[in-house]
Amino acid sequence: MDLNVCIVGAAGDGVKEAGELAAELFAHFGYSVFVYQEYQSIIRGGHNASIVRMSDREINSHRKYFDLLICLEDYAYELYKPHLRGDLIYDTKFKCGGIGIPMTEIIKEEQEPNIFRNAASLGALTAYLDIEFEILAGIFSDRFGERAKDDITIAKAAYEYYRSRYDPKMKLKKIGRRKKLVSGAVAIAEGLISAGLTHFYAYPMTPASPILHHLIKKREIVAYQPESEIAAVGMAIGSAYAGKRSATGTSGGGFALMAESISLAGMAEIPLLVIEAQRTSPSTGMATYHGQEDLYFAMHPAHGEFPMAVGCPYSVEDAFYLSAELMNIAWKYQIPAILLTDKNLVESYKTAEIERTNLIEEIEIVDSSEGEYRRYEITENGISKYAIPPAIVKANSNEHDEFGITTDDASVRTQMHEKRMLKENLLREDIRDRAWKFFLRGKDTVVTWGSTFGPVYEVAEELGYSVAVPRYLRPFIKPGLDQAIVVEQNYTGQLAKLLEMHGVEVRKVNKWDGRPFTPDELRELLGG
Amino acid sequence: MKSKIEWCPGCGNFGVLKAFRRVIERLESDGVERGRIVSVAGIGCHGRMPDYLDIPTFHTIHGRVLPLMTGIKLANPELLVSGFSGDGDALNEGMEHFVHAAKRNTDVALFLHNNQVFGLTTGQFTATTPRGKKTRTTPAGNPEWPINPALIALVSGATFIARGFAGNVSQLSDLMYGAIRHRGFAFVEILQPCITFNNTWDHYRENVYVAEPAESFDEAVKLVSDEMATGLLFRTEKQTFEETLLSSLKVPKKVVKRI
Repeated sequence: MDLNVCIVGAAGDGVKEAGELAAELFAHFGYSVFVYQEYQSIIRGGHNASIVRMSDREINSHRKYFDLLICLEDYAYELYKPHLRGDLIYDTKFKCGGIGIPMTEIIKEEQEPNIFRNAASLGALTAYLDIEFEILAGIFSDRFGERAKDDITIAKAAYEYYRSRYDPKMKLKKIGRRKKLVSGAVAIAEGLISAGLTHFYAYPMTPASPILHHLIKKREIVAYQPESEIAAVGMAIGSAYAGKRSATGTSGGGFALMAESISLAGMAEIPLLVIEAQRTSPSTGMATYHGQEDLYFAMHPAHGEFPMAVGCPYSVEDAFYLSAELMNIAWKYQIPAILLTDKNLVESYKTAEIERTNLIEEIEIVDSSEGEYRRYEITENGISKYAIPPAIVKANSNEHDEFGITTDDASVRTQMHEKRMLKENLLREDIRDRAWKFFLRGKDTVVTWGSTFGPVYEVAEELGYSVAVPRYLRPFIKPGLDQAIVVEQNYTGQLAKLLEMHGVEVRKVNKWDGRPFTPDELRELLGG
Repeated sequence: MKSKIEWCPGCGNFGVLKAFRRVIERLESDGVERGRIVSVAGIGCHGRMPDYLDIPTFHTIHGRVLPLMTGIKLANPELLVSGFSGDGDALNEGMEHFVHAAKRNTDVALFLHNNQVFGLTTGQFTATTPRGKKTRTTPAGNPEWPINPALIALVSGATFIARGFAGNVSQLSDLMYGAIRHRGFAFVEILQPCITFNNTWDHYRENVYVAEPAESFDEAVKLVSDEMATGLLFRTEKQTFEETLLSSLKVPKKVVKRI
């Protein structure tokens, strides 16, 4: 069983929410669900789509063609109908052939605003799949509590309308326990908390904003939106200096503003975690669309040489664990760590088992004010003991001696720079066995990164390829490959070039239209 | 940890350093652990301050003193957080942070070394350089009107506004001490001659005077606008950023207000 449902309407029609609730409905029956949210940078109007795919096998992507299209606006119908390969449910306020439900009439009767048509569409979907109405009502109640009453009334009216005129098209059977639905943003946030995050600062920028929205609701976390990305990263550095595990999150443009401070964290050896959620670039690009164009930027974001970690999760589950790993790495090595992710991972929802647990790797921290503290003591492996006030600890953006006092002495500079750089080798060995994930065993190997793993894996399984995905891009570990087909969402083939530099012969498969790859597209591109 | 002081002989910064060292002693005699007095500094001649102070410090990058101070205070409200910044540091690149820190009344103290010139980069104009002043980058005279930093602090919402003079160490020390003890965003503008690029020693010595604090905001606007007025110029009470933000959270919020 594999069903791909697309709900489309205008911004303000509650399409995103309808998609999430439809996903909850499928998850209730034990299916694996993936929800891709497509929307424009518009508050009202335009066209939004929520593509909800369910399957009885594990999935990490949506499909290109819809088995069912639920349409709330006629102009959106025109845009999305080329992908329709099944049934259409539509609001009878406009005319087209299919399963007409008088959604607008229903909400008018109940004297509710237009946005409640999303409840009507879910009522119709429930009838279409021959699901008992009570299950949908329960899902509304879980989400809205007392306020669910109006949604339930409207959904019920649409459900009854469908039942009085049409037959159900299929019967959804329970295949397992109810699954939990998680967005990439929530997985990242919960991963960070598992690794001890207490302070989060971020300036709004799509697609990173949902991470802030999630954390700001937590009472045990200090989360705040300051005046700019520069302030956000500065506050994160300040909090880490005072001993708290902190982070900031943004997308490419905001990350550019943070560059100078990332270099500061490198010099001052402050643990810093930055989430870089890529979207279509350059510049503002298409603000709400997907891309993987910042690989080199994330690997070398700032001036000067300093050790750094860059990790890239390939799935919602991995986003949880890798966020925690990177937070621990930032503290263990006292370096900046970048979680490089992408719009399709952060804003998509997926059924995933994520349990917040203690993943903190504690480090020794000096916090006594006795004596003068050698914060930057030269050590054999390059790691000096971390210290926080009230220790008399002096952090410095200038080159400095072991105490943190400014210097431009040639020999101190030589030693201090070497001390810092030593840490990258240590880190390289630390991550070596978790830097790559290898899947399947096939004729050739497809290499990809980030959320593109989802469709690649699915197609590789069908076509008989192996799959390799880097979780760490810096330090970069060369995979044991001579040849690879590299699939990524940029024009130039950034990962492909990186592999070429390491002697891998590559064939590039690229797409840069702002829409994530679907298995359908990749099947054509990788089929031969 | 003693380091050689590298300011030009006759620099106004010596007075600021002397005044702040007295503040540390005074806080210690009040019973404050030295390690809880934390200072941040930016880029410029003032940025050397951390090297000369036996307290926890952070010498950060240009203009970013206040975000770091805010992050430190939110991470550990028990620390007494102050910062040194220059006129270029706080009001050119750092202006957004300055206005916002005052706006949110974060419980830190900012000491602005205002010498009206970029000293460390050898004499270019800054946000406070007087109009008409010839500098390395305004050879025909500064075409811009200068900013009055204390006035910006006042209208942005700072709750403690003072002006000191590097040549009056005992007054300056009292103002800095009061600023650190103040609950909320405290701002002390320090009139500080740059002996090499903008020697204002005589001008200040002849013209500065000690004013009485203004009793209302409107009066304060007038008083603060007079750039030769020194002393505590205006003080008011307002809930601090930390109190507001942390009060709804289940995080440690033992806020050390006064000593």
